[in-house]
Amino acid sequence: MSAVPAGADDSPVSTPDVPAQTRLGPVLVALAIGSAVSIGIGVYGRLHNPTGQAINLAGFSSGLAVKAWLTTLAFLFALVQIFTAMILYGRIKISGEWVAPVHRWSGRIAVALVVPVAVHCLYALGFQGYSTRVLVHSSLGCFFFGAFVCKMLILTRNDSPSWALPTLGGAVFSGLTALWMTAALWFFSTNGLTF
Amino acid sequence: MTHRSPLFTLAGLVIAFAVFFGINLANSAPRQAVDDGYPSASPTANTPTDQPSPVPSQTATEEASPSGSPTETATQGAEDAQFPDKVVYAGRTKDGSAAIAVAVLGDRAAAYLCDGRNVESWLRGTAENAELKLQAKSGDTLEARLEGSKISGEIEINNEKLDFTIGEAKPPAGLYRAKGSKTTIGWIVLPDGTQVGIQTDDQGASQAAPELDPNRPEVDADGEEVTAKPVEGNEEI
Repeated sequence: MSAVPAGADDSPVSTPDVPAQTRLGPVLVALAIGSAVSIGIGVYGRLHNPTGQAINLAGFSSGLAVKAWLTTLAFLFALVQIFTAMILYGRIKISGEWVAPVHRWSGRIAVALVVPVAVHCLYALGFQGYSTRVLVHSSLGCFFFGAFVCKMLILTRNDSPSWALPTLGGAVFSGLTALWMTAALWFFSTNGLTF
Repeated sequence: MTHRSPLFTLAGLVIAFAVFFGINLANSAPRQAVDDGYPSASPTANTPTDQPSPVPSQTATEEASPSGSPTETATQGAEDAQFPDKVVYAGRTKDGSAAIAVAVLGDRAAAYLCDGRNVESWLRGTAENAELKLQAKSGDTLEARLEGSKISGEIEINNEKLDFTIGEAKPPAGLYRAKGSKTTIGWIVLPDGTQVGIQTDDQGASQAAPELDPNRPEVDADGEEVTAKPVEGNEEI
């Protein structure tokens, strides 16, 4: 496979040539912690009394529009993440020192953008199941943050099995995509591509 | 531990969550109110990303409206024995399944129960001696008593009894109705800004109401433009 990605700056990117010794235990611990996060978010969303308050931001027609655009921007950064991940794993033949930092930072920005949205969802709307779309969105919201926590934990180590990181990266990306589709895409398709 | 920067990312995530939760908490007062009669429009934001405030009210931030309605609440709530001349109550049934609003004008009252999907009922009746007695054309009934600044009672709808205790709602919260040639829409705007509404056509088919925009009471109901008006209490509905 390709050479070690240019992560000389303590880049927490697992490389295709992993050490001979991989350990499953830490992965399971990370999965357990991620699951606990997912469940915790779900329980909070269910127990907390949603307030129904909206975000009010100048220039946007409604709180929903703010959230839809924020998450769309986050999704674009997630696409950058996928693109750079494919470079890191040799699927796309591009080289450069920039790949790993861009991968990390596009991910951080994407997650930072969705945090205000997720907090508002949790606080004002809660975990809802009154329609399939809403149930899927609520469930995936919990799943996404659990998967993200798990991915971060796995990245701290060098001895994870080679499937761990791509699986979790894929889970995080798929989760975000489905979250975007069950909320932002739904919003744009019912309200039009409006600000 | 070989790489620490993912932990910094995680720490950042936790801090960001805490910050935005704090913002949401700090900005959620129990009741937001505006002085003007109809929802006003001032969509300004003080924070760069998140300024929670009720829909459709726009000025309900702690900095923006310390004055205004608290004085109105004080004078209206002082009367225990009788209903105020003109008042609207809005809130949810005790089991949370539906929103309910009652508008009182003099000795007449109008009420609306709505779950935002397909259960609704319009009722009208009397408000006398701190008691409300309303009926719907379908036979649903509502009875409630005035208790301070709240009303407490039960509504019987489709042979199911729902208890409620709801408080006063100041504009823009309240009860609104738009009637066109083919459709009727009812909205309850709760004090926290949530809207619960149903649109029903002349065949009796119901769906969730479109969002009531604070800036324009004109609403599109299946191609026909109708105007949402506050329900006062003396309407024949």
